[in-house]
Amino acid sequence: MSNARTQPSQEHGPEAVTAKGRSGVALDRFLTFGAVVVLFVVFSITAKNFFTMRSVLSLLLQTSTTTLMGIGVTFTIITAGIDLSIGSVVALTGTIAVMAAIAGVPIWISWLIGVAAGGVCGLANGLMITKMKLPPFIATLGMTFVIRGVALTITNANAWPAPESFGALGNDTIFRTGNQFPGISYPVIIMIVVAVLCHFILKKTRVGRYTYAVGSNEEAARLSGIKVNRVKILAYVACALCAGVVGTILASRMVTSQPNSAIGYELNAIASSVIGGTSLMGGVGTVGGAVIGSFIIGILTVGLTMQGANYFMQQIIIGLVVIFAVYFDQFRRK
Amino acid sequence: MQDVILEVEGVSKSFPGVKALDQVSFNLRKGEVHALVGENGAGKSTLMKILSGVHQPDAGAIRYKGREVRFHDSTRARDAGIGIIYQELNLIPHLSVAANIFIGREPLTRFGTLDEKKMNRDAVAILERLNLRIDPTITLNRLPISKQQMVEIAKSLSFDSEVLIMDEPTSALTESEIDELFSVIHTLRDRGVAIIYISHRLEELKHIVDRISIFRDGRSVSTDDYAAITMDEIVSRMVGRKLENIFPSRHNVPTTEKILEVHGIRRTGVLHDISFDLYRGEILGFAGLMGAGRSELARAIFGADPVDAGEVLMNGKKLSLRSPSESIRAGIAYLSENRKQEGLAVKMQLAENVTMANVNAVSRRLGIISRSKEMKACQQYVNELTIRTPSLTQVVNNLSGGNQQKVVLAKWLFCHSKILIFDEPTRGIDVGTKYSIYELIERMAREGVGVIMISSELPEIMGMTDRVLVLHEGRLEATLVTKETTQEEILNYAAGLGEKARTQS
Repeated sequence: MSNARTQPSQEHGPEAVTAKGRSGVALDRFLTFGAVVVLFVVFSITAKNFFTMRSVLSLLLQTSTTTLMGIGVTFTIITAGIDLSIGSVVALTGTIAVMAAIAGVPIWISWLIGVAAGGVCGLANGLMITKMKLPPFIATLGMTFVIRGVALTITNANAWPAPESFGALGNDTIFRTGNQFPGISYPVIIMIVVAVLCHFILKKTRVGRYTYAVGSNEEAARLSGIKVNRVKILAYVACALCAGVVGTILASRMVTSQPNSAIGYELNAIASSVIGGTSLMGGVGTVGGAVIGSFIIGILTVGLTMQGANYFMQQIIIGLVVIFAVYFDQFRRK
Repeated sequence: MQDVILEVEGVSKSFPGVKALDQVSFNLRKGEVHALVGENGAGKSTLMKILSGVHQPDAGAIRYKGREVRFHDSTRARDAGIGIIYQELNLIPHLSVAANIFIGREPLTRFGTLDEKKMNRDAVAILERLNLRIDPTITLNRLPISKQQMVEIAKSLSFDSEVLIMDEPTSALTESEIDELFSVIHTLRDRGVAIIYISHRLEELKHIVDRISIFRDGRSVSTDDYAAITMDEIVSRMVGRKLENIFPSRHNVPTTEKILEVHGIRRTGVLHDISFDLYRGEILGFAGLMGAGRSELARAIFGADPVDAGEVLMNGKKLSLRSPSESIRAGIAYLSENRKQEGLAVKMQLAENVTMANVNAVSRRLGIISRSKEMKACQQYVNELTIRTPSLTQVVNNLSGGNQQKVVLAKWLFCHSKILIFDEPTRGIDVGTKYSIYELIERMAREGVGVIMISSELPEIMGMTDRVLVLHEGRLEATLVTKETTQEEILNYAAGLGEKARTQS
């Protein structure tokens, strides 16, 4: 009986279909990555000084923070959630790190306190979403105001100067060789480490697998014995930890507390993730996509600026990129 | 009566890699109920989608009322008088009954606002043509599924449909609701509507069907008057071979060793003080009507729904009943009745679904998944269960229903559970796959697993179980030994008509 049933599948041979499937995936990756290369080449030709060591390094530095936030928010979007509080978390964690440093905490510990503060915000988001069963949009929208308010309260809305050495994280570089090579900024190194780590977590570990499962079908995941609440909380903690890293980096770069900074950063993060192919319906998304997405935005911003396009024009173009990236992505998936 | 209203001749349709329909012919007469049967993948759905304008044929002709037609989309087919009612209803839950019937063509007042009065009046008129009394202003999702289906039929009728296609209309209905549906179908037939009736439940055809067409592997095998064909002939033509037994011979021997003891499970308004035992190597059936609490009882034991009172012992040890994850660790598996909604992560790969409930088994330290172990484990189940898939990394959404069900099976087999709860394991599955699922259930019991099987199909209960619990409105009405009971007796208890608490063991 099994003979009769397996027969038809052999007509359209398993190997053929597999091969087609594989090349399809390869093509997808190639296309998105290709977009980055094309943009890069175009700007290298059209914008003066775009393709220089200094401007490439500064592009990497500028894009690193968006990338970090984009990677973080990808975790929450894969679970079919969202985190709108990223901008506020960035502001709060930066100010907390600065205030800690001012209070006399050793500098590197104050940086860690900043990042950890992000984790606490994420835990709060996660608990509201799982225990109070609030929609992620509402919970994190509310937290946007709460967290911003806390940042303003503890600083009294002032920009407090941090000790000078606090600025090292955001401003120093490594691998510097005299004047030939200006060195790679710490935020870029952090970005690479976080991206590799998060990619590994999502693709190779149980908790990563569960993240996709929860986003793809929460009830099936629960009935499969996956602790859905725990997975969701971890996603929000991961997201807010990334925001905490960004907050600490940005405060360090400014060497002051900036409670009013980073307004709307979550939208850049979400845009990066979505350009990279993450589905707001959940269950789909990659770290690589988020990285590519934020680099598309980053290259456009820097390139257009160097070409002399004004800020308003950049906004229009980036908006259109988000819209058409998702539009073409839908085509590809069909 | 003999007028052919719709004729399909030599229609073929291919999709990338599959020839879904190959030179299919078929005709439908005015005022008949014409059953269309065949295994999953036989081409029924594809033909229906062509008739209703969703797909276009590659070759062949469709003649409707004597003229050759080609519908470029479903709206045109509908306007021409061909309506289709899908298994999953196409209604909007938060709108009223009348709003659903007239969606997209709402009557307007002179001022361009919705004319609710006319809409409700017309809706009542349409519903009355089906002898239905449903308040048109009620919000749809407050109606039971059966009534929602009636609304869908009414909606289709409001387009003056002369051909109505029904795809598995009884799959979500209780016995009494099915009777209601059949009387509506009779009303329609008497009004001259031609009905194409697709169903996997062959035994229900005798109540309504005039003619029957059988499809296999994208071809039309035969068309007969229903009265002139036997059930055996239908089944053997569907599967292309003679199917000697609908159920495998049973070799499992229930032991006297209690693997599961359920004491006084109660959930207010749902389950009332239910106690029973399950033995190693036994297949225990849960019978009852829709809403009797069978799935609810299973989910309570599995820890998927909270209980208000009661305890469950497994091998003498108390289970926490707090969450599925603890039950799974204890060795219980629950295969839910609704695979797409509760069983599968359809966007994920086959392999990822198979290992979902037991990723630990293919993980190394620190929760890192070994892809090679995963693939190896998965390949074993693909072979064992003959899952038809181009590859292990195929996204589950692209598999057929029967194969999806097998993926769910594989997921739980991979957990090596000691208790397996199957909730409607063969719903919506073709005859051949059903048999292999029965074989598997039997084999699990033979290997010493305690099996609970929930089923709405009494022949399945009779053919596969050792004992049957019959539930009625959340109460345990009877515990029967399958060999000593009859379908009629079970039905009596299921309807709440049996003498209370007559228990055999």
